[in-house]
Formats: sequence, structure tokens, C-alpha cells
Amino acid sequence: MSPPTSVVSTIGPPIEPPRLHPIALRQARRARMPDGSIDVDRLLALMSETYTETDVDRRRTDHANRLMATELEAALSESALQNLRFKAALDNMNQGLALFDVFGRLVLTNQRFLDIYCLDDAPPGNTVDQVLGRSPCLLLGTAVEHCRLINEYRDVTSVGGAKIEQRLPDGRTITIERTRLADGGFLDTVADVTEARNASAQIAHLARHDALTNLPNRTLLHERLAEMVRNARRGDRCAMLGLDLDRFKLVNDTLGHPVGDALLVAVAERLVKLVRPHDVVARLGGDEFSILVQHVTSDDMVEQLCQRIIDTLTQPFEIAGNHIQIGASIGIALVEVDTIDPDTLLRDADLALYRAKRGGRGSYRFYTPDMHVFATRRRQLEIELRQALSSNQFEVHYQPQVDITTHTVIGFEALARWYHPERGVVPPGDFIGVCEEIGLIGAVGELVLKQSCRDAALWPKSIKIAVNLSPLQFKSGTLPAIVSQALSESGLDPKRLELEITEGAMLEDTASVIEQLQRLKEQGVLISLDDFGTGYSSLSHIRNFPFDRVKIDQSFVRDLGTNNDSLAIVRAVTGLCGSLGIMSIAEGVETLDQLNILIAEKCDSAQGYFYSRPVPLAETLPFISRMLEPQPKAA
Amino acid sequence: MWSKRINGEDPAETFPAIPDLVVVFGPTDRLADRGLTDRLMSSCGDAIVIGCSSGTMVDGDGLDDDAVVLLGMGFERTKLALAVQPLPSADGSFAAGAAIGMDLADDSLSAIFVLSNGLNVNGSALVAGIRSGTGDAVLLSGGLAGDGARFGDTRILAGGDCLSNAVAAIGFYGEHVRLAHGSAGEWQPFGPVRTISDANGAELCRLDHEPALALYERYLGDEAADLPASGLLYPLEIWDPAKPDDRVVRTLLAIDRDRGTLTFAGDMPQGWKARLMRGIFDDLVDGASTAAQHALHRASTWGVAPSACLAISCVGRRLLMGQRTEEEIAAVAAALHPDIALAGFYSYGEIAPQNVTGVPCLHNQTMTITLIGERV
Repeated sequence: MSPPTSVVSTIGPPIEPPRLHPIALRQARRARMPDGSIDVDRLLALMSETYTETDVDRRRTDHANRLMATELEAALSESALQNLRFKAALDNMNQGLALFDVFGRLVLTNQRFLDIYCLDDAPPGNTVDQVLGRSPCLLLGTAVEHCRLINEYRDVTSVGGAKIEQRLPDGRTITIERTRLADGGFLDTVADVTEARNASAQIAHLARHDALTNLPNRTLLHERLAEMVRNARRGDRCAMLGLDLDRFKLVNDTLGHPVGDALLVAVAERLVKLVRPHDVVARLGGDEFSILVQHVTSDDMVEQLCQRIIDTLTQPFEIAGNHIQIGASIGIALVEVDTIDPDTLLRDADLALYRAKRGGRGSYRFYTPDMHVFATRRRQLEIELRQALSSNQFEVHYQPQVDITTHTVIGFEALARWYHPERGVVPPGDFIGVCEEIGLIGAVGELVLKQSCRDAALWPKSIKIAVNLSPLQFKSGTLPAIVSQALSESGLDPKRLELEITEGAMLEDTASVIEQLQRLKEQGVLISLDDFGTGYSSLSHIRNFPFDRVKIDQSFVRDLGTNNDSLAIVRAVTGLCGSLGIMSIAEGVETLDQLNILIAEKCDSAQGYFYSRPVPLAETLPFISRMLEPQPKAA
Repeated sequence: MWSKRINGEDPAETFPAIPDLVVVFGPTDRLADRGLTDRLMSSCGDAIVIGCSSGTMVDGDGLDDDAVVLLGMGFERTKLALAVQPLPSADGSFAAGAAIGMDLADDSLSAIFVLSNGLNVNGSALVAGIRSGTGDAVLLSGGLAGDGARFGDTRILAGGDCLSNAVAAIGFYGEHVRLAHGSAGEWQPFGPVRTISDANGAELCRLDHEPALALYERYLGDEAADLPASGLLYPLEIWDPAKPDDRVVRTLLAIDRDRGTLTFAGDMPQGWKARLMRGIFDDLVDGASTAAQHALHRASTWGVAPSACLAISCVGRRLLMGQRTEEEIAAVAAALHPDIALAGFYSYGEIAPQNVTGVPCLHNQTMTITLIGERV
């Protein structure tokens, strides 16, 4: 396209063509007439159109720019609002949060991060060192610690989502977790885990301590033993004391568990004061304590300590207004440290304690190997007794009870016999106590009761059967029901059944025992007091319950004729019974002299080898028949 | 091969020989004039005649809103075929395209130039339909007929008929024919990034939960009265947020004032991001030049110079630039050798291979260039 060589205008002389804008050139071309002249109207119209188009475009642009500005402003406001929301969300996180860019420069933190490091602010652009360097809580420690804490933080690796834990100088524990970001930066989350760690420590403490007394428990005692063994020097000796409180159960039963618990705490405090700092007082459960005495130089030293413990614990306690008197028994296992087996040591102390308690409360005993032998035998006995019960090795023998004025049989006392497959017949004194200790007495007692009732039902109706009861048989409160069942199963007249209880049964939970005895009496069963004179011989027992008969213990009967004290006692008992209208019976009568004294003292009946040893059921009826025949009259 | 552009209204202008193919662009009312078309057909002999309506024709390096422009081409070794299919509604776009593809498909088919009705058409579906019939080895370009800012009636000229609802295509066969393409828009995105919150196919209902029509009305101000034509001033750049580098431009075709929706010349996937675009005159002109340069670069390997150039530009560019629209066609002409016969039209949608992938698709708001040559 070439510019026009001349412009023909109707409004002026020809002018030199100017350097025209391309639009103007195009417009000139469009306005050119076939003869080469310019159609001015057409040209003006085109020019006007161009101005109009330019105006329109400018207006469009202005309008669009204004709208866009408004929209962007709204978007920015929304963005600012969103930022505020994000900030609120971040600031309310439980964890501190710090975002660093690829150059390790801080981008942002939340308020929690500042709180954790006690910072007023953390300027963006700062490095980890600069941010943490201003933290007053990191400055509380030494310069070395300050440096270490910052270095550890800075060098947290992000591999596998690394996490470190730091303990700050002010005692708090924090975790720092770093996450690498796609842009090369990293995001750190910092959590204050002090409470969680304290809770863990508390749990760990609880796992090793008794919650009530805060003394070490069995676990910690074992750990201390193991530690002692590790650090032992040749020849070092130690003592393990097993300690049981005397009469603690009575406190619990009579004053309630809160008082019992307070007593245990008080005992723990006294014990801790009695030992050296490196000794360990542990509570293993109930009223059972253990004391590990380290660096034992002599047996005397241990004995003195045990005596001090017993003396101290025998001193009265004042708990919640109650004046409480208890005592303590101690078993001692004394060993060389490098030979220790912790379980054996505790067991030996326990065996010695058992012996101390059996030997009379308020005493201590050293472990001796025979205790272990005894314990082993006892364990064997326990196993055999359980087998005996399941394989019917028990039998009942009967010892006649005779009216000493008529010499007629008035009844039999049932006595359990254990036919041991190897040892033969085992007398009750050798196993009833063990049965009581291992909880078999209920089953054995029930077996004897039922067998006795069945057997007695075979005898003439004038013959009674006397069955011994263990105090422990009253514990469950089911005794009246068991007796009732035995009677109904056997068809025995209740009046023919006499239950013998010892004074011991009356000592614990007297109310419950008396209540059960009354129910038994209501069934028509006779109740007698066994072994009278050997225990507390409290007359209140006779007054508290209407016994049908009192049995004079064989220890007094044996001495009749040789010991005036025994005679006095027998006389007192028979006199008492006569006055109260209670029948009396003497056991263990072996000689005619003894019998004559009993007759003279107006005792009602007797049993013993003078008449007959205990016999199997099969011999009972012949004996009854024999006794109906005239007997030699006592002098 | 020879080619020549002539003015269809001037009986004095003739082709140097009987052409094999004549491409005609003219105003709707002129193409609907039976007298004119009959005369044109008789002057073209046995040539295949294909054409479409437009509000503005490319006539060499200038533009003409009224002219009927003919581009005649004579080939020595290239066979041609014409396919015509009805396109009664936009829903039939894929089927019509597929039918065209099947009509023209042949082992020796090299390229297709397609002209379609500009209203009631889904250009994306049409292209997909043709590709389904021919495969991607066949070059495809063309455009949707226009009607200026009126959006009232578009026509397709095929054989001797001027059709309202149709698609017509020329198949170029053999190994001698060469076609090269280039396209560029150079519209600039502006304003906030929005989200297509509700859309149905090519119908855009809501942007950022706001009725899409309301947004356009706000931006157009007084010019909203001229919708949908004025909507061309603000095409939409859209992209899948998962592929932010792969962006396409969508131009407005129709509006529904009652429903507050806008219909674009291609799909508007829900969840995609969208941003308004605007044209800056110099950028658009540079874009047109870039499209021509790209096509020429492609043609540089032919071993023969291009003979003809079909320039199809978007009516949106015409509406925005007004008289200055001529500058973009001048930029195209300046890039081409003076011997290349240049004709074209302002369309309601441009079809050409993508510059990078070569996959044919519907473009919006672009200048697309189709260079034609024949190596004998």
C-alpha cells in the first residue's frame, strides 16, 4: 500500500501529504473516489467512527478496570478475612507451629509457638537460631544447655517424620516434629508434653509403689534386690524381713477399713523411721510388709532392729480418735548378697514369719532350712488332702459317750479319719489344722457331718451323735442350711445331733456365730461347748448362749488324782453346769480313778479309752449292746 | 496449482482457468440471493463450490462487510470431494461430523476443510465427530459460519445450494496436496480467578455461585443490551485446576435471560477454573501475525511455496477492534508472500490443529490460518 500522492479537498488548497497513521491511510483509501479525489463526507464518517470506537474501547476498559478493582478489593478483603480465620485457627491449636522457607527463614508462627518459648513475637525472616536465641525460657539453663537445645532444634531431621523430645530448663518437656515441604521449606510442630510425661512418670511410680502407703511394692523391691545383687561386694550380707501385723484384721473388722488403711500408713511411717536410708521398706499387700536390710554386719544388728520394730509397733496408735494396740511378727532371712535368689529370699522370710506367728505373736524368727522342709511337707500335705477329698479317703470313727451313773451309751463323738494310701490312718490333729488353713475345712466338715448323720440314723433312737465344728465353718453363714440338709438327707431326728463348738468360734464375729447357733437350736439341734477351760474360759460365753452341754478338756481329766488344780477346775465346771442346768461331759477318761473322781464331782457323762477308743461304724452297735449289760460299779 | 481471489459481485473479474475448487464468503443476504449464486455457479464451471456467510470478509489485505469474496484454486494432481450433511440442532453436531468424516474417509484423504452452520452447533462435538470418522492423521481446519453482530442467520453454500442448517466439507486427496495451519488468540486474562460452580455441557449457569449472565451484564454495562454479540468482548479462559498449564478459550454464542445462563462454543466443565479475558488491539494484531508465521513455518518444509491462504478470524475480534480489525488482516498479509491469494471470513468459531500437539480442535477468539499448496 502506498500513501496518496495528493489530497483533494473542497475546503482548502492542496496540501502536502502528511505522514499518516495506518488507520488514516486506510480511511483515505476507502474514501478515494474513482477519479482519485477524496470523498470528504465518507472520510469524516470513517474518522468519526474511529473516534467513537476508541471512546467505546476506552469506556469499556475503564469500566472493566473499575469492576476488576472492586472485585479484587473484595477478594483481598475475603483473603484478609480468611487469613484472620487461619490465624485464629492456628493460634488455637494445641501445638506450636513454625513455618520456615527453603533458606531456613521463618515465615510464620502461631501464638502457641510463642507461648511455648515465652516469646512476645518472632519476626519473619529470622533463622531458628535467631528465633530461639530470644527465648527467655531457654536462657534459664547454662550456656552449654542453651546452645544444645537450639542446636538440637535446628538439626531435627525430617527423614521419616523425625521427632525429638527436649526437657527445657524450666522443667517442661516438649516434642518437636519437622515435616519437609514441597517447596524445600519445613514445618515444625512443637508440643508441650509435660503433663503427659508427668502422667507417665506417675504411672511408672504407681506401678512400683503401693498406692496407700507410697512404699515400694513387690516390683520395686525385686528391682532393688536385683540392683543390690549387681552392686554386691564379696561377703556382703543382707537380711530380708517379712513382717505381719498382729490383730490387724480385728482393727479392720471392728473399726472399718478407713481406720485400717490409716493404721497401715502410720505403720509405714514408723517403719521408715526405723531403718537406714539405703534399706527398703516395702508393702506387699494387706498387712504384709517386707524390709530389705542391706550391709548386715552381724546377726545381733538384725535382731536389735527386729526388736525395735516390734517394740515400736506395739506402741499404741491414735487413729481417728481410736486408741489402737497392735503388734508385729517378723521372719528373717539372712543371706550373702552374691548368693541371692530374690524369690527364695522372700519365701524364706515368709517361712520364718509363719513360724514366728505360730510360735506366739510379737516375736521374730530367723529362717532355718528345716522350715523349708516343713513347708515342703506341708505343701505336699495340702496336695494330698485335696486328692483325699476327691477320692473319698476320709472316714468317720465314733468314740462312745457314756452316762457315768448308768454306764449306758448315750451317744458317740464323730472323729474324722484319713486313710492315707501310703501312710495309713492319719489322726485329725495332723490334718484338720491344715484343712482350716487351706480352706478345705468346710468341705471336710460337711462330709463328716453328713456321714455321721447317716450312720447315727442306724443306731437306737436314744443314741446321740456329737459332731465337732471348726470356727471357720461359721464364716460363710451357711452352716444352719448345711445341717438342715444333712438331717433331712439322713432322716436323723435333730434332737439326736449335738454340734460341738470351741470357744474360739465365739471370739470372732460373735454376733453372727450366735445367730447361727440360735437357728440351729431352733431346728432342735443340741449345742455343746468343747474343750472348756483351755482357752479364754470366759463365763460370758456360757451366759451368752444356752449351751446344752459343756465338755471338760482332757488335759484336766488326765491330771485328776495327781493335780489338785485340775480337780479344782473340774469341780468348778461341774458345779457351774449343775447350777446353770447344763449337762457336762469329761473327755479323755482313761482310768477308773479318773472316772470315780468325775462321779464324785457329779459330772454327767464321760468318754475316753477307759470305755473305748474311737471305732468304725461296724463296731458301734455291738458296743451299744455290750454296754447295756451290767458294768462294774465305780467305787 | 494456481489460485486467485476475485470479487464475486463483479462479473468482470474472472479466474485464469476453470478452477477445481471455489471457496465463497459473503453476507448472509447475498448468499441467500439465488440470482447471485446461480450466476456464480455458472461462472465456476465444474468446480466444487463451498462457502459460508459472514458479517465481514477477508479480501486480500483488507476487510469488507459487504463483498462476496471468491477464492478459486486449480490443482494438477489433487482430487477433491465435497460432503454435505444436515445439522438441524447442536445436539446433532457429533453425528453430523461423524457422517462427514465417513463420507470423505479414504486411504488417500490428506486434509479436510470444513464449514459449518454457525448457530445451533457444538463446534467441539462437530470436530470430535469428524475425527471419529477419519482418525487423527487427516489435517482438519475450517470454521463456523458467521452473521456479524446479528447472530440471526448463518448459511452454508454447497454445490449450488445455500443451506441454513448444514455442514459442508472438502476432502483433499493424494500425496501432492499440502496444508499448513497456525492459530493464535492473544487475548489477555484479567480479574479474579473464578470457579465454574454450575454448568451443563456448553451451558454455563454459575460462576462462583453467581449467575454467569449477571457477571457478564455487570462487565458489559450498557453494552449488555447487545448480548450475545457483546459477550464476545469478554471470552473466558478455562482450565482444569489439576492441569493449570493446559488452558482453552471459550467464546459466548447465546444467552438465556430467563435462566441467567450463557452458552459457549464448547464444553464448560463444572469445577474448572475460569477467568475473563479482554483484547488489547496491539496484542490481537500481534496474535494474527503469529498465527501466520506459525503456518508459514510449517509450510517451509513443503519444498513448494503456498499458493492460497484461508484466514478465518473470530467475530469477537472484529467486534472489539472495529475499523482497526483490518490491522490484523494486514499483519497476516504482510507475513505472506504477495503471490499468495488471501481470502477468509469472520466466524463464530475456528477449527484448526493445535499449534503444539497438532490435534484439531475448535478454537475461539483466534485468528486461524490455513495455507494450501501442491507439490507436483
